[in-house]
Amino acid sequence: MTETNKPDAHGAPIALSVRDLTKHYADAAHNVFDGISFDVPKGKVLVVVGPSGSGKSTLLRTIAGLEPIQGGTIALNGDVIETGQPGNENSGRVKRGEDLRTKFGMVFQSYDLFPNKDVLGNITMAPMLVQKRKKEEVEREALELLDRVHLADRAHAKPHELSGGQRQRVAICRALILHPEILLLDEITAALDPEMVHEVLEVVVELADAGQTMLIVTHEMSFARAIADRVILLSDGGIAERSDDPETFFTHPKTARAQEFLHSFDFVRHRNAQAERELKAFDDE
Amino acid sequence: MQGANILLEPGVFPRLLQGLWVTVWIAAVSVLLSVPVGLVCGWLMTLRNPVVRVIMRVYLDFIRIMPQLALLFIAYYGIARAWNWNLDATGACVLVFILWGGAELGDLTRGALQSIPEVQHETAYMLGLSNWQAFIHVILPQAVRRLLPGSVNLATRIVKTTSLAVLLGVVEVIKVGQQIIDANRFQYPTGTLWVYGVIFLMYFIVCWPLSLVAHALEKRWAND
Repeated sequence: MTETNKPDAHGAPIALSVRDLTKHYADAAHNVFDGISFDVPKGKVLVVVGPSGSGKSTLLRTIAGLEPIQGGTIALNGDVIETGQPGNENSGRVKRGEDLRTKFGMVFQSYDLFPNKDVLGNITMAPMLVQKRKKEEVEREALELLDRVHLADRAHAKPHELSGGQRQRVAICRALILHPEILLLDEITAALDPEMVHEVLEVVVELADAGQTMLIVTHEMSFARAIADRVILLSDGGIAERSDDPETFFTHPKTARAQEFLHSFDFVRHRNAQAERELKAFDDE
Repeated sequence: MQGANILLEPGVFPRLLQGLWVTVWIAAVSVLLSVPVGLVCGWLMTLRNPVVRVIMRVYLDFIRIMPQLALLFIAYYGIARAWNWNLDATGACVLVFILWGGAELGDLTRGALQSIPEVQHETAYMLGLSNWQAFIHVILPQAVRRLLPGSVNLATRIVKTTSLAVLLGVVEVIKVGQQIIDANRFQYPTGTLWVYGVIFLMYFIVCWPLSLVAHALEKRWAND
């Protein structure tokens, strides 16, 4: 994907809207993040980057409803679905209806396939149990999705028989079959061997091209650069830099914090030509 | 070798088998009823409610600290008599073994439930599953697999511990053996070794398939 064929971000309706989001852990001295705001337009990809411990994953988890927020609002398609309550640090996962939960598709770093089910069982369980869809229809769609991620022949494999990259692709299918409004990807390649990273990211790039709204947390800068419509750099509890023009963000960051952050990756990249090749591969697609 | 002939006396084998049946019956009923008790106890032990926690803790510790024999005496001579409860010796045995098995299986269940990674719960939540659906379709099947080795071990311990029922006057396989030995003491002075040898084999035959099944399932589920 090149910069020119990216649709204009400004015209699209907003899928996810986060305002003044504040997250605090009980007994912690500081907020994980404090009053951050951003939008994810429909069909666009927002990539969140930042150093370890900057709260990237926590941000994703609060939007997913896995952790309560202490301030601000989260809105989906214009409807506020959650408002922060101070003092609810220990209240556990947010009580959201089944229908609302299926609107957020999430893929975790690892170990999230159900080991007691085969690939097809993993993918078809929620549509059948939660959305009460017919088995034949769900299985047909599951096989189509598996075909898209080149795993049609592994439908009856157990998770332990798959490589890490294959597991993550199955996890993506499992999230997609519920037709989520937005896909949340939480460092989905962080636990993978380097040679498997590309096969997973390739799938994500195809999804982006197909217009899937996504919020992605990643350490893979070349991937972020290739896929992002918008970027935010999270640092010290806030957004250090945001950009609607990722190419400029990655090549000519405005703030000192972003320059410092990206420089650390440049260092790695210069030593490792692999990353450059990957970037080229994404650009070619 | 002469003592071995005691086994050929008419009625010896059928009586031993009858005794074995009593043993197997007490053990089987206890184990089967321990399973629901244990699963519920295990679930209760994972709750955060402080009152439930304390009750379960006291229950588990009480059962663990008391020798099974003391529990049997309390149940049979103590409670049943004190409250004029018409509980026969076999019933007292089954009751104690259910309480014991339930507590131990409960602790195993608690461990198995807590060993399931949090991300499995989170994934079920994200997929829209209700708590109950997540428990039945995701958490329990995985917990059962992890539960198996310990619970088979527990089942064999229950089978073996049924021998304490002798002391309440239950005529199970050990008691039958004693009766046979006593009745033939003058004719077969060395018969003791043979009778108990056969009883040993009987226990082995009951327990061995359990560990075979467990081993096979463990292998099948090794990577699940």
